[in-house]
Amino acid sequence: MTGLDAILHHNGFAMAAVGITIVFTALVTLSLVISQLHKLLLVWDDRRIYVEKVRNLFSSARPTEARPPQVDEEIFEIHYFDDINESSRQFQILIQAMGEPFSLPELIQIAQSFGIEHAHSTVSHLIVKNFIVPDGNGFYRWNQDALSEHSKRR
Amino acid sequence: MEMFLDFFSNTGFALADYRNFIMLGIGILFIYLGIAKHYEPLLLVPIGFGILLGNIPVFKGLGLGIYESNSVLHYLYLGVTSGVYPPLIFMGIGAMTDFSTLLARPVLMLLGAAAQAGIFLTFLGALFLGFAPNEAASIGIIGGADGPTAIFLTAKLAKELIGPIAVAAYSYMALVPVIQPPIMRLLTTRKERLIRMEEPRQVTKREKLIFPIIAVLLCCYIAPAALPLLGLLFFGNLLKEAVVTERLAQAARTSIIDTVTILLGMTVGASTQADVFLTGKSIGIFVLGALSFCVATAAGLLFAKLLNLFLKQKINPLLGAAGVSAVPDSARVVQMVGQAEDRTNFLLMHAMAPNVSGVIGSAVGAGILWSFMVG
Repeated sequence: MTGLDAILHHNGFAMAAVGITIVFTALVTLSLVISQLHKLLLVWDDRRIYVEKVRNLFSSARPTEARPPQVDEEIFEIHYFDDINESSRQFQILIQAMGEPFSLPELIQIAQSFGIEHAHSTVSHLIVKNFIVPDGNGFYRWNQDALSEHSKRR
Repeated sequence: MEMFLDFFSNTGFALADYRNFIMLGIGILFIYLGIAKHYEPLLLVPIGFGILLGNIPVFKGLGLGIYESNSVLHYLYLGVTSGVYPPLIFMGIGAMTDFSTLLARPVLMLLGAAAQAGIFLTFLGALFLGFAPNEAASIGIIGGADGPTAIFLTAKLAKELIGPIAVAAYSYMALVPVIQPPIMRLLTTRKERLIRMEEPRQVTKREKLIFPIIAVLLCCYIAPAALPLLGLLFFGNLLKEAVVTERLAQAARTSIIDTVTILLGMTVGASTQADVFLTGKSIGIFVLGALSFCVATAAGLLFAKLLNLFLKQKINPLLGAAGVSAVPDSARVVQMVGQAEDRTNFLLMHAMAPNVSGVIGSAVGAGILWSFMVG
């Protein structure tokens, strides 16, 4: 069988219409979700502020003038330490792959090639916090003890 | 003398017919295009050499031919017929692919969806020409411009057509720089081709990490039959983005994908024995395959123009042509055609978004066709 008869016989038009509709549905849904993903992540990052706002809504009678700066400091601390722990984990893996001692420009270049954000400032933080220490010969080493020191401090 | 004549009667020279020589010519052409012209050399060279192997006439019963159940080539070919190789290739592609541009501008994903119209229109065309529905579905998927997807679906629906469909799919993928530009110039104005794309926003590492998980769950819940392909595509991408699994990602994007590409290309080539390849059906497949590519390209371009009617920040409609997967060749063609109008207009990075969404779209399309045919 050939021609339109064949298409109609095998229900071809319906299959093609449903098929392209499903492909569109899948990709439109995915694009909608990923278009909101970065906004959701921002909300997640600032979740303590939102929680605090909700709390304030339900406890409006309490005086709250002195509290916001403390909350901000706390959030800063948590974000900072969350980031530094996550960054230290990622950079430790990169450094293991590179081998020690290593040069900072090379580390930054490799980190950027892996899409790690703000590689310069993160490396700077890691140096300030003694995760990365100079070896005295112009290169650097990973300081294994720094992570446990930070965990204790937290 | 009798022994010599007996031996001669079993040699390739005595067993060959003119069709074998036609196929040998095609094999040599593929090798030439791969090596001299750099058209998809990683695919065309193994396929071309496989065609040579498949068209050396052998004495039946010795377990030499790819269609003999006890031959070495047959065992290697099992990875194709069972559908094992394509998902492994997808894992490697996932481990190589950066979805940043897609995450930065998700609307470009729709161009990848639109280009899949080529699959379904070619499916109708194949039914029109009298192909059975399972064969029509396998031919239609050539329009997805994705070799592994085409092989995967054909292995599931019409094993006997793997050779012609794989050769058609990879040939047209190699010919993307020849097929697409005239259609792109025909369907767009110069003014449209000069449109500059906005710089994409910076995508965070966390977004890139979460994307493969969300994408696999969403797509496979909507089209479960796409699981073998999309499951491994996004798994490979998660390995890449996780950083901690860099060794695995490295293996997926180098040794695994290279090994599988060699085995797949060589055995697909060897499956094109003249007696099973040079048939009327193959000619139909090649004609429909070319049509499929053209329709997919046109659908992507026209959909981009349609989107521009509603978007404040216009997109360059050339990007629609990258909706046919053929990663990264169709994105390169977009760059090439765009730069022919304006040397300072860089579209490659933007074209990668519809390009990779075309990979997702064609895998979803294959899953849908598979479920229609077995349902």
